[in-house]
Formats: sequence, C-alpha cells, structure tokens
Amino acid sequence: MDSTFTEEQTMLRKSTADFLVEKYPEAKVREIEESDTGHDPEIWRGMAELGWMGLVIPEEYEGMGMTFQDLSIVLEEMGRNIAPGPFFCTVLEGAYPILDAGSEEQKKEFLPKIANGELIFTLALLEADGIYDASGIAVKAVPKGDDFVINGTKLFVEQAINADYMIVVTRTREGASPEDGVTLFIVDAKTPGIHCEVIPTIGMEKLCEVSFKDVAIPKKNILGELDKGWPILSKVMERAAIAKASESLGAMDGIVPMTTDYLKDRVQYDEPLAQFQALQHIMADMFISLTTSKYLVYEAVWMESEGLPCAKEVAMAKAYVNQNYKELSRLMIRLYGANGTHREFKPGLYYRRAKAASIAFGDTGFQRERIARAIGLVS
Amino acid sequence: MDFKLSEEEEKRRKEFLDGCKELAKEKPEDFIEGIEADFETKNQPYVTRCRKEFAKRGWLRLGWPAEYGGVGSHMDRVFFGEARGYYGLPGVDIFGIEMLAPTLLAMGNKEVKDRYLPGIGNGDTTWCELYSEPNAGSDLAALTATAIRKGDEYVINGQKTWTTNAHNADWGFGLFRTDPQGRKRRNISFLLMDMKTPGITIKPLEYLNRMHMYNEVFYDDVHIPADQIIGEENQGWTVSQALVNFERSNVLAVSAVRRMLETLVEYCNETKVGGKPLAQDSVIRNKLAEMATEIEASRTVAYYIADQQNRNQMAALFESSAAKVFIGDIFERLGALGSDILGSYGQVSASRWARQRGIWESLYQTAFVLTISMGTNEIQKNIIAWYGLNMPRPLSPVSIEKALAAAQAAK
Repeated sequence: MDSTFTEEQTMLRKSTADFLVEKYPEAKVREIEESDTGHDPEIWRGMAELGWMGLVIPEEYEGMGMTFQDLSIVLEEMGRNIAPGPFFCTVLEGAYPILDAGSEEQKKEFLPKIANGELIFTLALLEADGIYDASGIAVKAVPKGDDFVINGTKLFVEQAINADYMIVVTRTREGASPEDGVTLFIVDAKTPGIHCEVIPTIGMEKLCEVSFKDVAIPKKNILGELDKGWPILSKVMERAAIAKASESLGAMDGIVPMTTDYLKDRVQYDEPLAQFQALQHIMADMFISLTTSKYLVYEAVWMESEGLPCAKEVAMAKAYVNQNYKELSRLMIRLYGANGTHREFKPGLYYRRAKAASIAFGDTGFQRERIARAIGLVS
Repeated sequence: MDFKLSEEEEKRRKEFLDGCKELAKEKPEDFIEGIEADFETKNQPYVTRCRKEFAKRGWLRLGWPAEYGGVGSHMDRVFFGEARGYYGLPGVDIFGIEMLAPTLLAMGNKEVKDRYLPGIGNGDTTWCELYSEPNAGSDLAALTATAIRKGDEYVINGQKTWTTNAHNADWGFGLFRTDPQGRKRRNISFLLMDMKTPGITIKPLEYLNRMHMYNEVFYDDVHIPADQIIGEENQGWTVSQALVNFERSNVLAVSAVRRMLETLVEYCNETKVGGKPLAQDSVIRNKLAEMATEIEASRTVAYYIADQQNRNQMAALFESSAAKVFIGDIFERLGALGSDILGSYGQVSASRWARQRGIWESLYQTAFVLTISMGTNEIQKNIIAWYGLNMPRPLSPVSIEKALAAAQAAK
C-alpha cells in the first residue's frame, strides 16, 4: 500500500491548480455561470493545450495515456475552483464511452478530436423520471432503412447547447427486463430535428432539455451493439459517479481552509472568530468529514483506475460525499454568518454546486439502495 | 495512491485472521462480548487463554526491537488489531502492550526495559493506567495524588479513578505529583508499581450496564522503590505525552463495528415482522447502508494512518484524532441503531428472552468507551482545531470577563 501520490501526480496537481487559479478567478466563474452558454472557448483552448481532454485517451489516439487516478486529480482541482464548462461531460460522458465500447473506426474518428479540444461531447440519458435506472429510458429509436429515427425528450443533458456530439440513450426494444433493449447512438448535435433549451438549475451548469423530432441517425453510429447499451452505460455511470465524487472532494478540500481563514480574519467582540470554541468545534467536525471522505474516495478511485470491481465502493464514496459536500457548504454559510447568504460570496457558490453534484449520477437514496444490496440485505 | 497490500503483507494479514478465527472457536458460550471484554471478571479464563496463545506466537511483541524478542512490522500490529477486532478476541492488554511498551522503548533506560518488557511481551504481566482522578479527567495535569521521595522510595497518597482493569492488572503505571509546589505539568513523575503493594485499595466502579471495567484506587502511604520511575523526576508529563510508536489507526474498533454491522444485516435478513423480513424495510435499508458507508470510510482512514505511520511514526496526527472521533461516534450511533432495529427486543439483556445474545442492549450502554476514554471527542476536536487548523486557543469566559472589566477600569 502507498498512501502518497507519485511525484508526477503531485506535479500534475500543482500545474492544474496553477492554471485553474489563473483562469477561473471567482469573478470569471460567475461570469461564465451567468452567460448564456456556460462555456468559455478561450479557457477551453488552454485546457486543450495542456492536454486535459486527452489525459486518459491512449497515445495511439493522440491522447496522453494517463490513468483515471490522474484524471481524478484534475477533477479535484476543478471542484476546488468550481470551474464551469464542458470538461466533465466531454471526458466522462463522451471520451470514456467511446473508449469502452467504440469501434476502431469510431475511436479514430472522435478520440483525437476530443483530445485536441475540437469536439465537445455530452450524454443524453435522463428523461422525465429523472432517475439513473433503465426503467426510465423511454425515448424510442426505430429502424428505417439505413437509419434509426429518434423521437422524444431528454432532460438534464449537461452543456447540450455547446455540444458537437451527444451520446443518446434510447429504447430500441421492449425486452424481458428494462436493461434489455437499450441502445446508445453517437449523434451529431446539428442533426435536423434536435432542439436544446437550458433548464434553470441551482448549479447553473447549463443542464438542458433536448427534444428529438424525427431525428434520423445512421446505423453505423450505434455505440456498442444494438439493444445491448445498458452494460456500457452502467460502467460509464459508475465511473462518472466516482469522478463527480472526486470533483466534490476537491471543493470540500477548498472549503475547510477557506472557512478557517475567514474565521481568523473576521473580528467580533475584539477577537477573531477563530478564537471561539463553539466555532472551533464546527471546524473540527468539518475537518473530520473531509478526512473521512478523502480516503473513501481515494480507495474507490484507485479501484476504478485499476479496473477492479468496485460498484459498492463507488456507491459508498458517492453517497458519502453527496452528504458531506452539502453539509460542509451548509456549515460554511453558517460560519460566514449573514455574509454567507450573499449571492456574491463564495459559500453560496459551493452550496449551490453541492446540491447539483449530489444529484448527478446518483443521489444519496439511489446509492444507498445499491449499498444495501451490496452488503447483503435481501430485497 | 495505492491501497493494494504486498503479497507478503496479504500473507501476514491472513495469518492473523486465521489465527484469530481458530481461537474464536474456543470462545465460551457465556463470554461477554465487547471491546471492553478484556476487563470483565467472568471472561478472565478466556482472556488469559488468548493472551498466552498470542504470546506464544510473538504477537504481543510486534514491531519491537529484536533484542526484546520483537517480530514483525508496524503493519503487522495493524493487521493483528484488525483480526482481533473482527473476531472480538480479548487477550491484548492495551495498557501494557499499546501504551507502556512503546513508552519504555522510547523513553526507558536499558535497566528498566530489561526489567519490564519481557513480562509484557510474554503475557505474564498485565498493566493498568493510573492517570485520571476525581478532579483531573480531561484536565489531567490538574492531578493531585502525591509521590514524595523519601530515601530510596516514593511514598504515595491520594486517589485515582476510572482506572480500567485495576482489579485484574498485576502492575500499574501512572502520573503522580512529585513536587506539590511545582508548576503545573513540571511537577509530575511517571511511576510504575506492583498493584499488590500494601496501602493500595481498589474499589469497583459499576458501569452503566453493571460491567466491571473501572475502579477507584486509593493510596494510603504506599511505598514504592524510587527506581520504578521512567524518565527524570518531574518530567513525567513529557513521558506520558510521547506519541512515538503508538498505533493510532483505531483499526481494531473499525473491524469490531464491521462485524457488528454484519451481525445486524443477518438479523434483518432472518427476522420477519408482519410477515416481511426487516431487510425489506426501506428505512432500515437506508440506515444500514449509511452505517456501512461510514464504517468503510473509517476503514480507509485507518489504513491511511497505518501506512503513514509505517513510513513516519509522527505522521497523520490530526487525521488520527479525526479517525478516533469518527469511530467513537459510529460506535454510539450503531449501538442506538441496532437496539432500535430490534424493537421490543432492543431492551432485553443477555438472557433466554434476548435476541442476538443481548449485544445491542449492551452496546447501547457501553458505546461511550471510545468517545470518552483516551481523550474525549471534544478534546480531540480541540486538538484538530488548535494544532491541525492552527486556530488560536480560546479565552475562557473568566478571562473574557476579566479583560472586559480591565477595559472598563481603564476608561
């Protein structure tokens, strides 16, 4: 066992942090949040130059061939800086599914362009039920000649307005179980019949409604096999869940020192707030939440990175971080007092993002049900 | 960051688990379970059986230097704690093995080490810790029991309390004021004594569930040889604060709660209420999943601390405070959750009416062992705030009043 990061990983963390601190000052984060697109193409190009989108793409597809664990370091830093944009959806919801299940032709066509920042991807998965379960997939894709025709509405599709391509999860057959008969398509976002609209959400990450009206997609754009898309998606969702937990962990790791510093600066009764024991114990509780979250996430990240079966560990890490990120940002607001409730102060940014992050790729109730099964409770 | 144990480590870990599993088969029917099982009078024959078996295998000397019969590494201590916790085995005298031995190894001279370490390492001598007093709990340095040097002896008077296992221990180590007029923390010495020395009176203190763990210890002109001191006279506070080499992962408690949760899962699967297994109750599923998650989180932190300590004994100090608060808290909440899930049976003590041998009624009451002893959770939070987060020491309300009064007077 080695509870330390390698020298290369420490350097990666440092260079990532340097870039993000420079490019995403708080004012910039707010500007991007408030913009129509939620995306800054100039920062995106900078990321591409650093090779971030291609970090986990093998060198043969013009990526850097690094590990999921390396990627999780970048995600932690993005979480710490609340960096908005299409990085998460492009890498976790685009590059990885293609790496996992794409044909050689698809890999050659898309991966190098993702790696160099030319293409933004996203995943059109959720529908009206809003659940990460196969039973929620109702959007139909019906064969017609060399095409499939998609009709229906997807919800909460991250950054769909900026996407060049989206992986669309469809129902192509009513199988024996909801998992049977799900098919994934790589869809050009400019295909006629697709309409995107931003849903106003607490985290302002530009989650969209995407409607499909007679959208014809060539058969060759199926990702994986017809009707057999669910196992691919399961893996993608598991990886995205732990990636989201890494991002949240980075934010939590930012909250603790930031709040401590605030308490040391702010003076009331002629003393810095940091001197009051009632507040010290809240900070200690926050440190405990952070510490216990950290190694639970690191274990799951390591297992994911090593390709070990880790459904239980990922569910645990996501469930735990869901709760703790919300809790830490809640306490941050409390410790900032009235200042914490201002829209323009930092705590609210974290608090809003924590809510969004806790929902993405499985909220706490969803994850706990998976854990209940994994620890052997009969259902 | 890599959580994989080496092949050699996996092999050692399995050795400890297998050894403990075998020994657990000999556990008597009426054994009283719990991480405090070592101290229960009725358990003593099995406690001794385990201790002797561990001594035979060298497991009481893990990580010690070879000249004192040491075997294995720091990680072996962690694996052994994990295995014992899981199988609920007594037989490791935490005061001798986990506290005194590392202190002697770090601070004792050769003569002292030669005199006391063999008895600890071969399981012949058990120890108790004579620290707390009625008015010196968290504020330990406020202790008042005195040990006054007279010739070749110290003469001890005063009282200790909450002394775990004083009724079974052969020897005790403790802190006593050797300079009653000296400054706080610089007036204390670290002394060792045979608990059968004339003038020592031990009275049991009943725990919530009637368990006999704690004692009051009274000293009435107790004479002990002056060479039973560790470190210099009046330097005892420093000796007691030596953190070097203590195993701080709390892995034993973590694996003990893991086992308890497994027991609870079995109970929920097997027990039908209203014709439906408890396991199908969505509230129970949610609660047990939450608890399992927290236990896994505490396990990963424990391993992190173990590895950090394996690399550098002084590492991960604040994380270990965090881990202790966390696992202590889990213990309290698991005791409450288990006894809640048992419904009417959650109140039944070990008897023919009890379910799960009454362990939840017992745990509900003994769950404070971790949150109060060895530094309460609140003291650990002070440590985290003051040393981990570098927050300033708070002013006491009295100091604030004084400062305000002084400010008023100045006006």
